[in-house]
Amino acid sequence: MSESTVPRANPRIILREEFDDWAVLFDPDTGEGFGIDPVAVFYWKRLDGVRTKSQLLDELRQECTDVPDDAPEHLDAFIARLERRGLLSVDEDAAAES
Amino acid sequence: METINEPRPEPSASPDTVPPACGFHLRTLYFYVTEGCNCACRHCWIAPRFEAGSSPTAPSIEFDLFTRIVEQARPLGLNGVKLTGGEPLIHPEFERILAYLAQTKLRVIVETNGMALTPGIAGLIKACANPFVSVSIDGADAVTHDWVRGVEGSFDKALQGIRTLVDVGIRPQVIMSVMGRNRDQMEALVALAAERGASSVKFNIVTPTERGLRMHEAGETLKVEELVKLGEWVERTLIPKAPIRVFHSHPFAFKPLSAMFEKAGGMNRCGIFSIIGVLGNGSYALCGIGESVPELVFGDARTVSLEEVWNTNPVLQEIRQGLPSKLKGICGRCLMNGVCLGSCVAMNYYRHHDLFAPFWFCEDAETAGLFPASRLQPAAA
Ligand code: SF4
Ligand code: SF4
Repeated sequence: MSESTVPRANPRIILREEFDDWAVLFDPDTGEGFGIDPVAVFYWKRLDGVRTKSQLLDELRQECTDVPDDAPEHLDAFIARLERRGLLSVDEDAAAES
Repeated sequence: METINEPRPEPSASPDTVPPACGFHLRTLYFYVTEGCNCACRHCWIAPRFEAGSSPTAPSIEFDLFTRIVEQARPLGLNGVKLTGGEPLIHPEFERILAYLAQTKLRVIVETNGMALTPGIAGLIKACANPFVSVSIDGADAVTHDWVRGVEGSFDKALQGIRTLVDVGIRPQVIMSVMGRNRDQMEALVALAAERGASSVKFNIVTPTERGLRMHEAGETLKVEELVKLGEWVERTLIPKAPIRVFHSHPFAFKPLSAMFEKAGGMNRCGIFSIIGVLGNGSYALCGIGESVPELVFGDARTVSLEEVWNTNPVLQEIRQGLPSKLKGICGRCLMNGVCLGSCVAMNYYRHHDLFAPFWFCEDAETAGLFPASRLQPAAA
């Protein structure tokens, strides 16, 4: 997955935020729910099909302190899991074309 | 990211043994070794016979039958045995049972009120594989605990029991059943347990079965509104500052996701796919509920084989086929039902005579408008 990868959240998926900043991603088509932690919630809200992966990481670093060095690997893993579950699509070329 | 409603457990695919014909390994035998108890707890969910003297008279499983059942269970995948009751330690041959279990290398779990713990028994438990002991303490002071337990002096004896365990190197879990009378003592109980060397504290909700039901009816337990608030306080305030681990037995829908994914343990999942109960009278049963619900007793272990019960009993079959997809009411619509399985089949059956009835706590919470919407399937249009 390159830095210019542009992930886009499946618009049918519903984000249900909870009191402790964790959230449930609910897929109304399958009835499945997925628990995501506060950093994943931060990303999810920005998976708009415009921001690239590196822009997502930049925004995280701007807004949060103590972002770990392996944040890019975590983001890759998160995007891969979302994609596997049909919760998002990725466009590898979108940023390069724009 | 984790799936919060994993599908029902697949039939076992463990490499150690071929699964039994039904497809499910039997992992733990729950032995309700005696139907007697040296306490008379107000909240007891099975109401055993009170045994004050030193020669218990309530039905207690014979040693030979106990070992025969364990040996029958091993080829089905057994890896642990839970000893409970009534009060397991008053079983007339408890030490012999422990000595036998120590040789089997099976994991041993003991649920006790601690009153009859001796250094000899503690040593035998310690000799078992990876033992786990829980001791019930229902108040941070003697007046409260003894009131709940119905026996004067039980608090001091339970603390002595904990000391005896700690002396042999076992750090027990302390379990408190929370009710109106002791709700303000939870923090003090955690401090007491930590000071006495316990490894953790678990707060249980009083279940509305048998004597617990009478407490519910008398208004001596907490209403669901209070329980939900208390659960939030435990998660957000008590757990972060507790010197030892603290668990509480609220259903999955009321647990923060962080607690589910970051700190394993303490979740109230019905273990019904991998356990079977054995009552003090030698009958197989769903669990201890068999002492009060005859339909959930599966036959006398002296005359039926465990393999036959495990593979063919119609109640077990129905549960395996129906959980969680046939759960009703709020449990049928809950996003957590794949992991929670309706919390406790036995209790749900006790209340509604239906194996797939919903769990009372979540039913009450929904009625009170307190069920977390983020954990529900949307209502059908
Ligand atoms: S709750 Fe346990 S200790 Fe108390 S009466 Fe029931 S079986 Fe005995
Ligand atoms: S509604 Fe049922 S399945 Fe959901 S958390 Fe409550 S008891 Fe468990």
